[in-house]
Amino acid sequence: MSAAAPLPQSIATLYSDHHGWLQGWLRRKLGDASQAADLAHDTYVRLLQSRRSAAIGEQPRAFLTHIAKGLLVDHWHRQEVERAYLDTIALLPEALAPSPETRLMVLETLVRIDAMLCSLPEQTREIFLMAQLDELTYQQIAERQQLSLATIKRHMRKGFLACLAAA
Amino acid sequence: MSTAPSMAVLAEAADWLVCLQSGEASAQARADFERWRTASPQHAAAWQRAEAVLGDFASLPAETTRRTLSRLDAPRRRQALRVLGLMLAAAPAGWLAWRQAPLWTADLRTATGEQSTLDLADGTRLVLDTASAVKLRLAGATRQVHLLAGSILVSTGRQSLDVTTQHGAMRALDSRFAVRLLDAASRLSVFDGAVAITRAHAGGMYTAQAGEELEFTQDAIASPRPLGASLALWDKGMLVAKNMRLDTLLAELGRYRHGIVRCDPAIASLRVSGAFPVHDFARSLVLLRQTLPVQTSSVGPYWITIERAL
Repeated sequence: MSAAAPLPQSIATLYSDHHGWLQGWLRRKLGDASQAADLAHDTYVRLLQSRRSAAIGEQPRAFLTHIAKGLLVDHWHRQEVERAYLDTIALLPEALAPSPETRLMVLETLVRIDAMLCSLPEQTREIFLMAQLDELTYQQIAERQQLSLATIKRHMRKGFLACLAAA
Repeated sequence: MSTAPSMAVLAEAADWLVCLQSGEASAQARADFERWRTASPQHAAAWQRAEAVLGDFASLPAETTRRTLSRLDAPRRRQALRVLGLMLAAAPAGWLAWRQAPLWTADLRTATGEQSTLDLADGTRLVLDTASAVKLRLAGATRQVHLLAGSILVSTGRQSLDVTTQHGAMRALDSRFAVRLLDAASRLSVFDGAVAITRAHAGGMYTAQAGEELEFTQDAIASPRPLGASLALWDKGMLVAKNMRLDTLLAELGRYRHGIVRCDPAIASLRVSGAFPVHDFARSLVLLRQTLPVQTSSVGPYWITIERAL
């Protein structure tokens, strides 16, 4: 990713030919020009990182929107988490409101964790969070949920595996 | 990155996470785990992910995270139900259970390792220690702070203040004191001034003076003892131990961090004196190794064992 490395020819062409179009496409999806510019930029960065420029083939715009759609989904997910987080901390007493740095850090982590957890069934998620967030022991969770310790462990294993696969 | 772990290896890592977190891992199991972790780059990479996941959870404020996730959940769940053609009915029992958990109602709460200060208009200052929660009722004739978990340090200002726990009530004016919720009792330590205790059920009273520390339950107030220097400085980030048992010290320091600290029973009763930084566990371990015949070993950052040095 060194700045001195020459841009592969195909990417340079892809940029000059389609950047304006991609940005317009993103602006229509997002309704915001500066966010569209950011995501268009990110799309090309992703393309450079993926080293798949050889695979662009005959339909460069389809390839670009394929990448951009993935980024859009991430972007919307992040926005959704951010809104929920800001709504939550808006209710905190002023003395407890996190600093902007803390907010940013917590938000990044929340986005990752929400992505890890979203594939889990409700019950597994709840049991998993009781251990990871509420710091209850497995035995305490078993008692509260009126389930056996073995069942709790099965949910926990499922939760950890979902997190590890998404990490 | 070059050795992305396979799903099979990730599944093994998940098994180890459950085994270690369940608290059931024997010394043998931990040795087996260590062998597994170092068996191949794939295993090491899988465990790095595991530590990243644990680190993510450990770094989040529990209450805020819970609330944020439930906000995120609500529209998604409604959508799922609509897809199924169902009316929006009761939320799953588990979700209700945690919403109604006592801690949920806390007005102020700190995460593990966090401390937080609240200054009131009359000059009263409340400091919440690690993993603590209080409910506040500040309007009306008597201002009340109800301690739900952990411990608080209170310096009262111009107005009197009632501090309650499940075990009883304390009234303070112009004093500085700490209240800590233990498993089966509440502990009051008075640094300045005086604090009057009333038990929750029986009507007994006792006024604790500066320099006294005592425990009380709903039914009894224990006799006071001189205030130990220990623990009095936690709001300054220090834990001062005076001839404290090693296992007690580790338990106290452990309240400020996530993860498990195991103290070998053979050295649990060693006596320790010194000042330990509560927010820097690694530094505290170094201090212990320098002053006691102990060694420490860790399985990742979350499981730490302290044994007699060989």
